[in-house]
Amino acid sequence: MVFGPIPDREYHEGFMRKAIEMAELALSSDETPVGCVFVHAGEVIGRGINGTNASLNGTRHAEFVALAEIMAKHPSSILRDTDLYVTVEPCIMCASALRQYAIRAVYFGCLNDRFGGCGGVMTVHSDPAVDAAYPVYGGLFREEAIMLLRKFYVQENAKAPDPKPKKNRELKTEILPIATPNIATPGGSTPTVEKGKIVVPILEKAAVVAKAQLKS
Amino acid sequence: MGSSQPDTTTAGSTATNVPLVSDNHKRRMLHLKTKEECRLGNETIQVWTVELPSKHAEGILKVIKEQIEGQDNVDLQHLRRFAKPKYLPQHVIGKRDLIKEMYSVPRGWESTPPTVIQAPSASWEWSSGNARKRGVDRSLTLYLLVCPSNIIPLREVHDLMLQHPPFCSSADSWAYPLEIKEVTVPRLAPTSPEQADEWSDQYWPTFYRKTNPFGAHPTSIGKAEADLEEPIADNVSVSAMMELAEQAGTATEKLGYGISTGCVIVERADDQTEIIAVAGDARGKPLPSEGGSDDANIDTSFEDAGDKKTGGAFAKKTARKRRKKKEQEIAKLAETNACTSGNVMCHAVMRAIGMVGRKRLRVASQPISTRAAKAENGFYAAGLQRDEKARDAFFLDLPVTPLEQQYFTKDNLKPDGYLCLKLEIFLTHEPCMMCSMALVHSRVGRVIFKHRMPQTGGLTAEMVRNDSGPVGLGYGLCWRKELNWQFMCWEYTALKYASGSARQHVDGKASAAGYVARRTGATAGVQAKGAGYYGGEIDDDDDKDDADDYPEHTTITAASSSAAGDECANSRMHSLAHVHV
Repeated sequence: MVFGPIPDREYHEGFMRKAIEMAELALSSDETPVGCVFVHAGEVIGRGINGTNASLNGTRHAEFVALAEIMAKHPSSILRDTDLYVTVEPCIMCASALRQYAIRAVYFGCLNDRFGGCGGVMTVHSDPAVDAAYPVYGGLFREEAIMLLRKFYVQENAKAPDPKPKKNRELKTEILPIATPNIATPGGSTPTVEKGKIVVPILEKAAVVAKAQLKS
Repeated sequence: MGSSQPDTTTAGSTATNVPLVSDNHKRRMLHLKTKEECRLGNETIQVWTVELPSKHAEGILKVIKEQIEGQDNVDLQHLRRFAKPKYLPQHVIGKRDLIKEMYSVPRGWESTPPTVIQAPSASWEWSSGNARKRGVDRSLTLYLLVCPSNIIPLREVHDLMLQHPPFCSSADSWAYPLEIKEVTVPRLAPTSPEQADEWSDQYWPTFYRKTNPFGAHPTSIGKAEADLEEPIADNVSVSAMMELAEQAGTATEKLGYGISTGCVIVERADDQTEIIAVAGDARGKPLPSEGGSDDANIDTSFEDAGDKKTGGAFAKKTARKRRKKKEQEIAKLAETNACTSGNVMCHAVMRAIGMVGRKRLRVASQPISTRAAKAENGFYAAGLQRDEKARDAFFLDLPVTPLEQQYFTKDNLKPDGYLCLKLEIFLTHEPCMMCSMALVHSRVGRVIFKHRMPQTGGLTAEMVRNDSGPVGLGYGLCWRKELNWQFMCWEYTALKYASGSARQHVDGKASAAGYVARRTGATAGVQAKGAGYYGGEIDDDDDKDDADDYPEHTTITAASSSAAGDECANSRMHSLAHVHV
């Protein structure tokens, strides 16, 4: 259930607030306003904003930038006990990377219906694969995450090979609510990892339902 | 697991260290099916059809269009709405019906154009029909494709038809016998004239509209294959680039940095090719935080013995020993420090894409580099740390072998291009989901990989082939309408598979570092069952030495194809099978 109830919501909102702050900074420096923080044992160990314009590398997403900061100090195994808070659902690439790095859980603001990998377009986080699945929880400060993106996309992308004029674009402020979830999320504040076993909610169907509701 | 087709490479009889690089001349590019094209092969839909005298065809069609709701939701534009009996397959027509034939004989009064007796303003479908010749060359009856049978029950179609001529008696004819048949037709448009012909014979007259709505246009595919398989002048060939990718993978593997997968990126501008980036996998190069060197630069410690191959047997042996030792060290390190997949960011594709970005920055014009620098500054203004060494060690988008260095240093990229727009990517192995999506984000043009990765690959759209069993996860990321970029993609496969239609193989060449062997062994089902946080039981067999003995192609018989996923558990698939590359 991507938009299911999140236990200890306020606790998680605290970290999502930090991710939103990162996204705001990205917007002020002309990068796609996506921000994230990685949290280990209640502490932020990595922060990131998109770095595609600085690196001229389309894969330098906020998650990867933050991972670089983490791995300057920590071994990659720390991610087994680390949660990600990101304003926009991780894309297919990041969703797969996080799974390969064995992230514990992902919390996000809004869905990414262009290339989301955790329910938006595909469900890379939970599809059958050789790596263990991870749980995702969406909807934390969703409206703010969406507004940040809208503010960015009314701007023109001068870097694109064929920039589209967007002078007539207006910033819409109306945000449709997501329907009330009807499937429970597994209990506990964060998913617990027992030895050789991870508690993973079944998310695919729920994600599809949530997406359909979102669209309608 | 039987072998329906004898393979020329007999397991065990060849030398253990057969280099990877010898068989490229025996391979050809085989364009991958897209996700939609895979649906095409087997997707059909049931429709209602009815036979009727041709003069009533348009009248009935009008009734259907007005009265049956929801038929526009299914696009069947590739099928003829009306079909003459002579163009229909025999099973659609059925047995000869003498009663119907009698009813469809034109009668004298029917040859009078109906418009004569209608008001001039009538907008009936046949009002223009008075110009037509109703001679003997016209079919007496036509078959009409009514609509998909799942949108309206048979009884309702039946009742509707009976209310309208020719199925009800009317002023100028008596009722034509109504017989509604359910017929199977292809659900989606064909992608070639041959396919259209085949479907016309098999199902129902089908159009080919000279486009492929489900993948790249055949002309573009042919052009790309010609460019790469028969290169002009000094341009690179697919076989040469594959060799280079393999060398790149071998080079990083030799240093104990990762598995032997490699990536080469080529730019084609004004019909001339330039090799832009070459990178091998380096997932096993320990991060500084994991005890590795914090220097991302080239490690030359093994260069003399490992790369140049000039020393005698003794030097080789020493190099081998050192290599083994290093591999063991890395494996140990990784067990204690790193996550089981190593540094995922150092897959060959990610590194090569990163190198293109670095090169772009280097050759950028003033405005572009100013903008990038501004973005970079914004970055640090955001409070992020400026630790370039750590960043480089993590992304490893700088060369780590002399081979990578050789191509990285050339300023041969056209300035001010966008990401990897339309560049050509050569890969030893089908990339994982992360790398596949990275290629989408980077807007690449053509991708060619040598070995399919049925357990981890993100580009193949097929999941199972009837003749060979599991072949991939089915993501088909190279051409998904849902995503904002599509690119052409080929498997560089053995000639015998590429040329014939009877391809029967699961590709899987063995080449395994001990590093990999230790941490794989997960079966596809493991994760689904929720067992094993590490992705499965640890494979204790040190099989790296006999890995090269495995046959090039693991052929799976049709009988075993039902046991999807088993092939890796018990076959001689190599130890890379479960690794993301």
